[in-house]
Amino acid sequence: MRYLIGIGNYYGRDDSIGLRIAEHVGEAGLDEGFRAIDLGGNLLDLVHYLDAETESVLIVDAAKMGLTPGEFALFTPDQVASRRGHAGLSTHEADLMKVLEFAALLGNPLPPITILGVEPAELADEPGLSPVLQARFGEYVDAAVTFLTTTL
Amino acid sequence: MLQNINIDVHHLTRVEGHGNIKVNVTDGVVETCEWQVPEAPRFFEAMCRGRHYSEVGRITSRICGICSIGHTLASVKATEAALGIEVTPQTTKLRTLLKHAENFDSHVLHVYVLVAPDLLGAPSAFALVETHAEVVARALRLKRLAHEWGSLIGGRTTHPTTVLPGGFSKVPTVPELSAMRDKLAAAVPDLQATLETIAALAPGIPAFDRPTEYMAVSSDSEYGLYDGFVQTILPDGDRARYDVADYRSCTNEYVSPLSTAKYTKNRLDSYAAGALARFNVNYDMLHPEAKKVAESLGMGPICTNPYMNSVAQVVEIVHSAHEALRLFDELIAEGVTEEPLVMPTRSGTGAAAVEVPRGILFHEYTFDDEGFCTEADCIIPTGQNHANIQADFDALLPWLMASGKSEDEMRLAFEMLVRAYDPCISCSTHYLDVEFVR
Repeated sequence: MRYLIGIGNYYGRDDSIGLRIAEHVGEAGLDEGFRAIDLGGNLLDLVHYLDAETESVLIVDAAKMGLTPGEFALFTPDQVASRRGHAGLSTHEADLMKVLEFAALLGNPLPPITILGVEPAELADEPGLSPVLQARFGEYVDAAVTFLTTTL
Repeated sequence: MLQNINIDVHHLTRVEGHGNIKVNVTDGVVETCEWQVPEAPRFFEAMCRGRHYSEVGRITSRICGICSIGHTLASVKATEAALGIEVTPQTTKLRTLLKHAENFDSHVLHVYVLVAPDLLGAPSAFALVETHAEVVARALRLKRLAHEWGSLIGGRTTHPTTVLPGGFSKVPTVPELSAMRDKLAAAVPDLQATLETIAALAPGIPAFDRPTEYMAVSSDSEYGLYDGFVQTILPDGDRARYDVADYRSCTNEYVSPLSTAKYTKNRLDSYAAGALARFNVNYDMLHPEAKKVAESLGMGPICTNPYMNSVAQVVEIVHSAHEALRLFDELIAEGVTEEPLVMPTRSGTGAAAVEVPRGILFHEYTFDDEGFCTEADCIIPTGQNHANIQADFDALLPWLMASGKSEDEMRLAFEMLVRAYDPCISCSTHYLDVEFVR
């Protein structure tokens, strides 16, 4: 099985982009050949999808990458280093990279993991996307679906 | 005894959200001993206003990523109370089963990933992978089981989609329930191993006692996780009972300069919510297998050691597993049918309480004649525990000083105390912050 996994905070403005993409893909029936999962902020549950039965995973999340707000990039975990420095592992304090590191430590081979990061324009405790990301929402959905349906 | 102590834990790890511990003692005089909560308010109640009753549960489930089932259930129950909706016995049974999945999942996570590292002398679960790989693997097996269990009934475990005011949009089939029931039954060896792990670690739990008031949902028919009235118990066994609709009379919210969250109190200056509170209030309603576990761990009501909240969670893991097996068996025997949503019969105000992993959770809404929300109020358990944590701090510091502990030992004891409450201070943001290295 292939998975599109959206993570983030639904009421965190652009931090919700991954969840909204997963939600839209599921509701619009675009998830042919893969499953779209809205994981919310429950990052440790990501580990459940990283087992031998999983063919590949596309994680969709807001990512501060230094790009122009609204731009997006596809990359693998080993291409980046997290600037966050939390020492522990929790469901909220650990960022995605920590959870992936934890999953790798468990000793089982991980499926291919790709991240679709979207550079946020606004991060705040407010509902809805910024106009910048809202205007390009269709591009993000297309990129995610194309990746999962055309890439091994 | 140490005469000068300076503990400054800024952003305590292995808890949800942002809390600080500040302790300062100079020449034996306590100057500061504070549990600080600086999280920003998130205004969910305001977000509910103007929304249709069919949307409110979906909004408030996002208050928390860990307790989203509990928030959803509290929300739809309060909505149903306000709108005069009486759900079917099948709905109640499925929701109770869903509630057990959340408790099981969250407790496994807390006990194994957040508490065990302290008792094993490890900085985090990362270190446990190297030293206790089987324990970590077992934790993940149990967590995955609960994840599948919750997803089967709720559509998904995080922010369930099938739970709606009036019932369910989709119910699991009997074969799906049977398969899930068998998976749960097969997990019994992992539960036994969990008990053995906790029994081995229990001597590391500080022997600190501070009697307080304990508050939980109570019921004459079950342990009280999903439905019932509000009950509190004092250390001398004196009980008080409150209707859920009168929740404000026992929560008594007030503002503290130490916190951006409101504090609560009832008959004493603070009260405790959570697994230990439920254990103390509802001990008689525990499943017999869970009682056996409590006895084997040397625990009985009324337990006044706040660190034992984590042990009470283990008792509840066993309770939820056995109660769930019973509910699965009943649903399989009775059969499950798709039922239409029960429609509103009136408008007005309604309140509900459910138990989430961290304690009693209240939601209350008012809806106008067209079904739109005009008022909302949510009182979460972590907010109810803040005053009690502070009261524990006030008693813990002299206890630690008299015990001759070092500053590092004291710091760990304060951190462990807060973690024992399993606080969910806030669901903060999760965005990645990365730089490309190749």
